[in-house]
Amino acid sequence: MLRGDTQRRARARDAIHATLGAAALVDAAAIVASFNAVVKVADASGIPLEDFKADATADLRAELGLEKLNHLAS
Amino acid sequence: MSEPQRPHAGAIPVRESLDRECRRAWERLASAGTWWSGEERLAIALESRNAHACALCRRRKDALSPYAVEGAHDALGTLSPAMVEIVHRIATDAGRLTKKWMHAMLADGISEEQYVEAVGVIAVITALDTFELSLGLPQRALPPALPGVPSRHRPAGARRDLAWVSTVAPEDLTPEDPDPYSIHGTKNIHRALSLVPQEVLNFFDLDVELYLKDHEIRDFTREYRALSHAQIELLAGRVSSLNGCYY
Repeated sequence: MLRGDTQRRARARDAIHATLGAAALVDAAAIVASFNAVVKVADASGIPLEDFKADATADLRAELGLEKLNHLAS
Repeated sequence: MSEPQRPHAGAIPVRESLDRECRRAWERLASAGTWWSGEERLAIALESRNAHACALCRRRKDALSPYAVEGAHDALGTLSPAMVEIVHRIATDAGRLTKKWMHAMLADGISEEQYVEAVGVIAVITALDTFELSLGLPQRALPPALPGVPSRHRPAGARRDLAWVSTVAPEDLTPEDPDPYSIHGTKNIHRALSLVPQEVLNFFDLDVELYLKDHEIRDFTREYRALSHAQIELLAGRVSSLNGCYY
């Protein structure tokens, strides 16, 4: 829905609509919009991850290699 | 899911609350802000759209480091060079911004308050455009600018102690400041734009309808959307990954 050529995005929309319905298509588009935007707020302000979130997700972030995305110390 | 549905411009039914906040967001985008006029806010939004066709931004995006690629942006000519750099980088490659880069921008004639408000404008136009793009709708023309004068109110309690930019802790908010915390919560992401509290409201009034309200995110006793919590987080994680978002 976010990336790729027009036909690929249309197929994704059609699949969601056919499988889950129109309301789910709208909500999927809304979630994509939200997370495509909030990254600007987080990354442009340099806001850090809360300690409680960092502590709770340390193992998971290490396993997934997410620390490579941590540019806040730059 | 009991909310009434109303037809969208694209004949796709959109929740009334989401439709309402989208319309309010478009209007706020065109209205005078705290540090930028309506006309200036729309110029930032338009330049944000334009950034995706910028050859320099494409070269930087493809580069190992965007800071190694010199050149001039393909700009519309309404914003200063420093503002063009700010808008284009945030719009196209926010995941690789650095504190050093931001301070260089602030040393180039852009105030910290103007920077923060611009971030809010870019985030809102990104959300609105992405929503309609994801529904297969054509990109709409920006609305005309609304009259008004920026209030230029800087919260007295603003301090640079959490993020790259100054923020206002919930306990430091004064009665003169718009209060986004009582409505949207006090997580770090809610503090990110709090140097310009109205921008927190502008973004999160829309965002909680696109995503979920703060208290709904971890309420697994019920579903608030046509998608389950698990489906929502799968989508959220995928988009965040595509954007290289650490937060």
